[in-house]
Amino acid sequence: MSEVVSLTLRAPLDRRVDADGLTPDRCASLTEAQIAALPILISGQVAAVGDLFDVKGSSAAMLEFEGDLSLVDGLGAGMISGELVVRGDAGDDVGRAMAGGTIRIRGNAGHRLGGPSPGASKGMIGGEIVVDGNAGDDAAARVRRGLVVVGGSAGVSAGRAMIAGTLVVFGAVGDHPAEGNKRGSLIALRDIRVPASYRYACTYEPPFVRLLMTHLARRYRLAVDERARDGLYKRYCGDAAGPGKGEILVLVPPT
Amino acid sequence: MEIRGVHIEDTFAEAFGMRAARVIITGRTEKWALAAATKLTGFATSVIACKCEAAIERLLTPDETPDARPGVAVLLFAMDSEGLAKRLTERIGQTVLTCPTASCFDGLPGATDRVNAGRALRVFGDRLQISKVVDGIRYWRVPVMEGECLLQESFGLHKKGVAGGNFLILANSDAAALAAAEAAVAAIDGTPGVILPFPGGVVRSGSKVGARGYKGMIASTNDAYCPTVRPLTETALPEGVNAVLEIVLDGLSPEAISGAMRVGIDAACRPGVHAISAGNYGGELGPYHFHLRTVMA
Repeated sequence: MSEVVSLTLRAPLDRRVDADGLTPDRCASLTEAQIAALPILISGQVAAVGDLFDVKGSSAAMLEFEGDLSLVDGLGAGMISGELVVRGDAGDDVGRAMAGGTIRIRGNAGHRLGGPSPGASKGMIGGEIVVDGNAGDDAAARVRRGLVVVGGSAGVSAGRAMIAGTLVVFGAVGDHPAEGNKRGSLIALRDIRVPASYRYACTYEPPFVRLLMTHLARRYRLAVDERARDGLYKRYCGDAAGPGKGEILVLVPPT
Repeated sequence: MEIRGVHIEDTFAEAFGMRAARVIITGRTEKWALAAATKLTGFATSVIACKCEAAIERLLTPDETPDARPGVAVLLFAMDSEGLAKRLTERIGQTVLTCPTASCFDGLPGATDRVNAGRALRVFGDRLQISKVVDGIRYWRVPVMEGECLLQESFGLHKKGVAGGNFLILANSDAAALAAAEAAVAAIDGTPGVILPFPGGVVRSGSKVGARGYKGMIASTNDAYCPTVRPLTETALPEGVNAVLEIVLDGLSPEAISGAMRVGIDAACRPGVHAISAGNYGGELGPYHFHLRTVMA
């Protein structure tokens, strides 16, 4: 038993890998050898975790990956508890349909961060994902519950068809943000192009944003400046194409 | 036993089990956090007529509160879980929801038993409220004319609260009794897990169970300790005592109360004070007995 199960990439990858199911909650009751023997898909072919990673530790609810995992998809997919950390970049579908626990990507993440399984109506339904760098397209699409934080920029269609939950983007947000949003929150710290299907409500200091930013600074040591925590936000209600109970909160830049 | 010439009587305080909650109230400034907390803890001196006992536990700095604003920790005690839930919902609804800039959080995050006071209050939003989960904790954003009121959904229910810890300050004058009581309150102030629910932390109208002269009274004046009727009743006052004040303590544990009684009694042992005593009902009503000489040993 150890505090952390660490998986260090042995050599740079040249093919896509699907790590679906390699979650901390699963490793929490497994030995080092059992973790190394877990299945993983390399270009669709079944292999063992130990074929790609040096595995150290056992029976821990914290899983830590080392290396450039930008070709590894599905990290933390279906996760229900524990903590997953990637010290590097991650591929697509990080936290796909996750239900709980926390995922921290120290680098960039690919497309469909926290999104749904193929054909599913709901993305993540709980837990928290924090990406220090950038995220690809469709971040937090169809999220039902939970928190997705992107420290850098997010691609197009961020927060697409959110059912509820929260997406925070510290950097630039691509086009078509939060379209089809039902009750979700997109919090943008830089100016974004708010869709025409949103209606401006007011400019205020949201107490929830203050709580959230305090949480991000304390729990994840994110560099949250005071303006993001204390500042004024413009609130837009939408998407008017649906129930319209979602929102985009945009930090007002200093004058 | 004597402390600096003050006699410590060989008696005990008798206290009762209560349900407790800790509420953290924050505001844009300490002034507004205190405004809400003062109202929330208003008219909450005794369960006999107020249905709960509550007071400010201590002030909190921004680094101690969930939203990094100045805050106030409040403890609230009630006889049962249902009563605690009702009082929390009523009081948070009328004093935090209404107070500019105030937010409300649970101060007992480790408690497994929960009271969904924030959930009950969410309906004030008339279906325009928003639910948010951060770090596994659910909050409600209720739209109000100022903007939004942020309330945590559930509050920890502490089942092993203790209410009615007490000690009596027997002094040779009302001025000496008040000075000693103020010193005791100052010494106890800020003790974690303890509140003094009465005005300024001090009670002058100690009570006995029932009444001799009126039927149906739950409690009446503790005439044995009233100096003005000394010749008319079976007095408990030693010669030379002309005023008595009581400090009543509620706490999250017997240890917290015992510790607070110790520093309070020590501070109260000052010139003009004749003796320290305590109120009890013979030891058969309350399960917690705080023997003064054990507390001060």
